[in-house]
Amino acid sequence: MKDWKSIAKANGLVVSDRDLDRIVAPLEALEEAFRPLVKGLKAEHEPATAFCAGEEGE
Amino acid sequence: MTGMNIREAAESLRARRFSAVELTTAALSRVDHYNPRLQAFITVTAEHALDRARQADAELAAGRDRGPLHGIPIAVKDLFATRGVRTTAGSKVYEHFVPDADSTVVEKLEAAGAVMLGKLNMHELAYGITSANPHFGAVRNPWNLEHSPGGSSGGSGAAVAAGIVYAAMGSDTGGSIRIPAAFCGAVGLKPTYGRVSRYGVLPLGYSLDHMGPLTRSVRDAAMVLNAIAGYDRRDGTSSRRPVVDYVPDEGCGIRGVRIGFAENFFFDRLDGDVESAVRGAIARAESLGAAIKPVTVPDVAALNAVARVILLAEASAVMEPYMEPRSQFGADVLALLDQGRLVPAVDYVNAQRLRRRMQLEFSKLWAEVDCLCMPTTPNVAPVIGDTTVRLGGRDEDVRLASTRLVRGINALGLPALSLPCGLSGSGLPAGLQIVGPPFEEALILRIGAALEDGGVGIPPCPA
Repeated sequence: MKDWKSIAKANGLVVSDRDLDRIVAPLEALEEAFRPLVKGLKAEHEPATAFCAGEEGE
Repeated sequence: MTGMNIREAAESLRARRFSAVELTTAALSRVDHYNPRLQAFITVTAEHALDRARQADAELAAGRDRGPLHGIPIAVKDLFATRGVRTTAGSKVYEHFVPDADSTVVEKLEAAGAVMLGKLNMHELAYGITSANPHFGAVRNPWNLEHSPGGSSGGSGAAVAAGIVYAAMGSDTGGSIRIPAAFCGAVGLKPTYGRVSRYGVLPLGYSLDHMGPLTRSVRDAAMVLNAIAGYDRRDGTSSRRPVVDYVPDEGCGIRGVRIGFAENFFFDRLDGDVESAVRGAIARAESLGAAIKPVTVPDVAALNAVARVILLAEASAVMEPYMEPRSQFGADVLALLDQGRLVPAVDYVNAQRLRRRMQLEFSKLWAEVDCLCMPTTPNVAPVIGDTTVRLGGRDEDVRLASTRLVRGINALGLPALSLPCGLSGSGLPAGLQIVGPPFEEALILRIGAALEDGGVGIPPCPA
């Protein structure tokens, strides 16, 4: 499990403990869903940074 | 005259049964009557609307006909830039922002002769699904004022459902057109990413934002799409693919259309009334000659997680320069903006890699079926202020529940239509969602129109 409070501090996110508590639980839940997906990525999987819903290069 | 659809109103205008000024005056009267309760509008541009209506009448009298939207009262979500008219995105950040140019969508609607009544309330920054706006008031659902209209295009859903406007423009980054359409009993169309220009629309998530209409009928949505679709060099993601006539023929059929019925995910943990209504609509499609084909869809829960990572990062990037003072944001939006600031760049890039991989997986579905049909939301409109909803025996965060069946479609960029398909026991609308392959708006609109013609729908809102 990530230490979100330390990460927030390291990222310069200076917020109250109340605000921090509000963001930690959803981030943990998302992390749990997202992290395993990343393990399945291979180098040839390129990002959709110039995303087109149809064919490539449209 | 406010109970008609666009085609009927357009025919009446041309038959001189009433004028555009009379139609607009009636719509403005409904704004006066309903808006104090619904809080659907942030800004009403009555003078501008009457000027435009007078112009519309003069043009029709002179034989200049701009098409079916000519003289028709509409409104736009308050994140579409409107020249000389404040555009707030429902936020303190843009509270005093008065654009010096129109967004492309507004430009096109005005060129089509539509009469804009004003700017519609919404969830703050389009970043949420309740439209309980802390700065401009909570939008209320015309079907039951204690309930949310959904969001983020909540004012758009409420204004259409209350019969104030014939069409309202919304934006959809994780369901924000389709959710209010479903909760308010309106039709909502999210076109393919790139089909409608994003230029001049205050962004939430650059690679997820889609613009589209909410209307009273499927054919009305198609008429609006005809007016707003097309390539725009000012939007770098705009498609050059030619537009077609999106309006379904009268009596259009769906015999032989292969409708995919997802055996996984999309029918899990639904409100019983929503499930009955959607299954009823699909059964009606079958009775109209469509072939219902069970399919297994790729992992939509994973797709939703990917879409959330992308949105968190993109939205926080957009708002990075505006984070102080923090007190200018509502608590829910601030929490999301803070979360996004903690998403590493590596995760954002990997989410975009996963997105492309999932796009390829989903594209294989279109060899088996022509579209997918499923509920738009698993629930009906929640009570304003509720933070959880009970579905399938478990309490679920109301935002995550309401976006569960729509969010992933944004990451895929696919066209999706929501149309009302029934009322719950408590009298709240349920929505059927039809998702098609990229740029197949004409197909999903034809299916939606055939279902509407075949009796799928709900009575007008008694607002």
